[in-house]
Amino acid sequence: MRSGWPSLLLGLALAAGPAFGRPAVQAGSEDCLACHSDPALTSASGKTVAVNQAGFEASIHARAGMSCVDCHTDLRQVADFPHAERLKPADCSACHEPEARELAASVHGQSGAGEGQAVSCRDCHGAHDVRAGDDFESRTFSLNLPGTCLACHAEKVQAGRGGEFVRLYEKSVHFRALEGAGLTMSANCGSCHGAHGVKSVRDPASEVSRTNIIKTCGRCHVGIERDYLEGVHGKDYLRGGKDVPVCTDCHNEHDILPPAEAESSVYATKVAGVCSRCHDDMALARKYGLLPDRMKTYAESYHGTASRFGEVRVANCGSCHGFHDIRDSSDPKSSVYPENLPATCGRCHAGATQHFAEGKIHYVAQETVGFRDRSPHIVKSVYIVVISAIIAVFLMFIAADLLHRALKRGRHD
Amino acid sequence: MTDRELVRDDEVFVRMNLTERLQHTLLILTFVTLMATGLPLFFFEFRLFRWLLPSGKAFAVRGLLHRAAAVMLIANLVWHLGYTVFTRRGRDNFRALIPRVKDFRDAFEQFFHNIGITRLLARLGVLKRFFARHPYWLFRAPPLFDRYNFVEKFEYWAVAWGSAVMIASGFFMWKVEFSLRFFPLWVHNIFIIVHGYEAMLAFLAIIIWHMYNVHLNPEVFPMSKVWLSGRITGKELRLLHPLEYERILEARRRAVTADRARAEASRAGGPLQEESSSGV
Repeated sequence: MRSGWPSLLLGLALAAGPAFGRPAVQAGSEDCLACHSDPALTSASGKTVAVNQAGFEASIHARAGMSCVDCHTDLRQVADFPHAERLKPADCSACHEPEARELAASVHGQSGAGEGQAVSCRDCHGAHDVRAGDDFESRTFSLNLPGTCLACHAEKVQAGRGGEFVRLYEKSVHFRALEGAGLTMSANCGSCHGAHGVKSVRDPASEVSRTNIIKTCGRCHVGIERDYLEGVHGKDYLRGGKDVPVCTDCHNEHDILPPAEAESSVYATKVAGVCSRCHDDMALARKYGLLPDRMKTYAESYHGTASRFGEVRVANCGSCHGFHDIRDSSDPKSSVYPENLPATCGRCHAGATQHFAEGKIHYVAQETVGFRDRSPHIVKSVYIVVISAIIAVFLMFIAADLLHRALKRGRHD
Repeated sequence: MTDRELVRDDEVFVRMNLTERLQHTLLILTFVTLMATGLPLFFFEFRLFRWLLPSGKAFAVRGLLHRAAAVMLIANLVWHLGYTVFTRRGRDNFRALIPRVKDFRDAFEQFFHNIGITRLLARLGVLKRFFARHPYWLFRAPPLFDRYNFVEKFEYWAVAWGSAVMIASGFFMWKVEFSLRFFPLWVHNIFIIVHGYEAMLAFLAIIIWHMYNVHLNPEVFPMSKVWLSGRITGKELRLLHPLEYERILEARRRAVTADRARAEASRAGGPLQEESSSGV
């Protein structure tokens, strides 16, 4: 679609060309290249004015039959060569008007401190050798785009959180799919940030802003977007909740990795940490009435303890509560709805019965629960008292024994 | 013959035979393994333990070792149980280990004898008439112990109780699905709590009580070697287990008297000897 527009406009422009009334004497590209193909050609001010002939001839414009003057329009009126030193810069918007408009409104178009656009068409597309987006050699071909963006964003342009942050993309599963598996449909920079209209993440209109990120990721991850929007987080998100987690809060932004990989932010042993960023936050807990001590009670359980020691086969938050479509335990569709617990536990514990639901997983002492649910805690308290008493008796006997020996020795000396 | 000649101070007695020493050694090995592979879970907050078990694989190996040691511990217990039931020495030991009222009194008397608070009071002239009438409360002499004193009996029964609790709760933790087929989750949660805290109790009891009694105690420092050699001298028997010593002495005295009687009878003539032997 995106590559369709320019060619369509190009066609229109070419068709309309003669109607605008070209001057009778017009230089063809061969005439220009007669001089400009010399790589040593410089202007009076020493700037190179050479044109890579092969590059130009392979460009989409040359192949569509366009010549130099179609872009360098002020040369149309010139009959005597060599022509004047200064020419107006080529204006792509004459043909590519919508893209130019998008670019002007983008962060690239807006951030050029008073001297026009910070990034122009040629910075991404190249100049004479511009190729179609689906051309393997194109700078904007999906497999090549990260390199094109990184040419500036890795070092030269420290946008937002700097080059390091941008380069994290190269670790991501998206980049790996692009680079390793050659999957052109995998997300490159443009897939998430937009192409011509790229905006700062702080701009609510940006495709990667909190407001739009769900939709942006959902363009490819359709099923996950649907699940997310049905869960508690998604419902709050649709209501405009400002604190609710969106995709990037759990999965990170540039360095998104599959959950099975140890470096992933949602690796089995890290999930509890990710959830507790909000669920252990006092301010958020008060604001939204979140249940307290979820992380503490999980950590004390065998699941949580084993997970802390790096065991990945034990349950983490998501194993029981779900990942994208987390629902309240009062929702009959929830995986932790009491009647669904045997099935949920049964995913790991083959043949789990209703007994799995008869007791608390996250038990908090202050909670008003029945005696049964509180009994493990009571047993624990009894043990603490008994152990303390026994140890105290041990120490008393040891102290008495040592005292006796000390006194006896004193008497003997 | 005097008592000291009947039981000489350098005579060697077997306090722990080879079977008992092997059972004790096996108990040490399994106990240490169980503690090393189990306690880190109790202290999951400590960074140190997370360094010991760095990855998921180490954790799985930990579990395997823990259960292997548990099986060894159970096997050792079964061996000990068989030994106790089927051998004479085992049965005698067991009988000597049964807790009696005397043990509670011994503990009480030993404690007050050691701190000597009542003797101090008497010397200061407090409750003079009471102490004159009831000298027991001065605890002048320490209690006299038999083959096993109250400390040893306590440790023996602590191991028995602890093993029973740990094996039962541990079994249900091992077979979670089995446990939850019969018990609701809250009961299973109690198993987990019990297993952890009972382990903590056992660990502290061994570290504080047993280590003091067999290592740090000035009497045996740096270590009582009974668990290695199994031997105890006549002197140690006389000082540490006076009642057992007394019993052995009594038996030998009787044997000496009987020998003497037999010798005299044989001098007097055959028929008497026959009569006396048939009468016994």
